[in-house]
This record gives sequence, C-alpha cells and structure tokens, in this order.
Amino acid sequence: MAESHEHITCREVVELVTEYLDDAMSADEASLFEQHLNFCDGCVWYVDQLRTTIAAAARVREEDLPPEARERLMSAFRDWRRA
Amino acid sequence: MHVEAGTESTPALSGGEADLLARLRSGDEQAFEDLVERHYGAMVAVARTYVSSRAVAEEVVQDAWIGVLRGLDGFEGRSSLRTWIMRIVANTAMRRGGAEARSVPFSSLAAEGEEAALDPERFRGADDAFPGHWRAYPGDWTALPEEALLGRETLAVVTRAIEELPDAQRTVITLRDIHGCDAEEVCAALDIAGPHQRVLLHRARSRVRAALERHFDG
Repeated sequence: MAESHEHITCREVVELVTEYLDDAMSADEASLFEQHLNFCDGCVWYVDQLRTTIAAAARVREEDLPPEARERLMSAFRDWRRA
Repeated sequence: MHVEAGTESTPALSGGEADLLARLRSGDEQAFEDLVERHYGAMVAVARTYVSSRAVAEEVVQDAWIGVLRGLDGFEGRSSLRTWIMRIVANTAMRRGGAEARSVPFSSLAAEGEEAALDPERFRGADDAFPGHWRAYPGDWTALPEEALLGRETLAVVTRAIEELPDAQRTVITLRDIHGCDAEEVCAALDIAGPHQRVLLHRARSRVRAALERHFDG
C-alpha cells in the first residue's frame, strides 16, 4: 500500500467523537479521524447520531427564572447603578 | 501614560459581549435583565454542585450576581463574560459550602475508571480480519422523519436519560448541551481540567445517545 498505515478503527472513532466535535484534536488526529469517515458509512452515521443527540438535548427546556429572584436582582442592579 | 481604549483591552470578548458590557456599565436595565435570563439557570446548576440544597444554591446565585455587579467596572475581558461569571458563582459557592464538601464530587480523572461508549461486542474482535470495526452499522438517523427527531416522545426520552445520569455527568451535559456553555466556561464553573470535562461530557452524551438508539431502533 502506498498510503500511510496509520489509521484509526471504528471502535476508536466512537471514543474520539466528543474530542472531534469540540475541536480538541491536533490537526494530525483530526485528519486521521476524517480519513476514516471518508470510507466508513457506519461511523458517519454514528457521528450524525451524536449530533442528533446534542440537538435533542438543546431542546430540553430550561427552568424559568423565578419572578421573586428576578425582582431582587433588578433591584440590586438599580442600587448598584445609584451607588 | 495614555492608554488607548480599544479591542485590545478586552481580548477575549466578542463584539457582542463588548457591546453588552458597555451597556451594563452605563446602567442599562434591559441589558442586565437579558444577562440574568441568559445565565441564571446555568448558575443554579453550577451552585447546586457545591452546596447541599436548591434553596441555598439560589441564595448563592443571588450573592454571585452582587459579586458580578461589584466586579463589572474592573472586569478586564481576559476571559469571556460568561466564563468570568461562572468563576464568580464557583467562588461564591465554595465560600458558602466549603471546597471540601461539594455535594457533587468531581473525583480525579483516574478515579473515574473505564467506561466504553458502546458495548465492545458491537465491534469485531482481535482475531477478525478487521479488528475494531463495526459488526453491524449503527442506524442511519438522517433517514428518520423530522417528527421522530423533534417529537415530544423523543424529548421525553432525552430528558429522562439526562436525569438518570450520575451527578457529575448530568451537570456537565446540562451545562454544555442544554444551557449551551462552552468547554472553557464549564471548566471555570466546576473547577475541573479540560480533559476531565470532556470525559464526563463524552460519557453523558454516549449514554443519552444509547437511550435514543433504544427509542428509535428498538
């Protein structure tokens, strides 16, 4: 084979995906990761599943700010502004 | 010495944040209300990891906001505004709860132990021609209809999966994926290192993905 023998397996992709999505990999590691995705539909789908998971979590509702907390904070802000 | 006011004095701030900061300093009430709306939930989630009850966590967040107001004029923009706010919550909570008595222990990375994202059985073994490759591909979720992805049932599955996570993992995924904090903000908030944060996030997302897989693929 002419290309480098360096490669990562599907099992490794699954453990590196968070690092990849966070841009926390070196350029060399990211390039190995992307080379793998170029020929592996299973891993493309797995990475997509993670993106879907992240998008679904983003839709979980945040708690509302309690009205009395808002009131107290706004009045603290007015005091600070006057000080 | 005359120092030119400009972007260099606030290196870590985006244009939007620099503008927001100027409005806050000038006493713009709407700007402060937006800031509180945006960060309150994440701040309570952070405080909750340091102190024993929800009520005390809310008091900590109130105190932290007073700290934010006090520090506003001196804030130099060496980190993002949110990172700075998160550090104030963490410090306020630690003073209140005592650093040694965190209600959610973030043990060291080494103490976390191993936890694979997926059952090793899903990959071919060492004696196979392609060790470490899929035995069967995971599902192609791009082919799922939008209502399956965005529906109420799916949301309930994700919500429950997050609730069932171990405390440290739940806190990290809540901050990152529900509140939209970045890695640096979470590290500042929880007083943990980047790799530790990433391991907790990785495990949390892997478990939530597995719950979705059971839901979608049966």
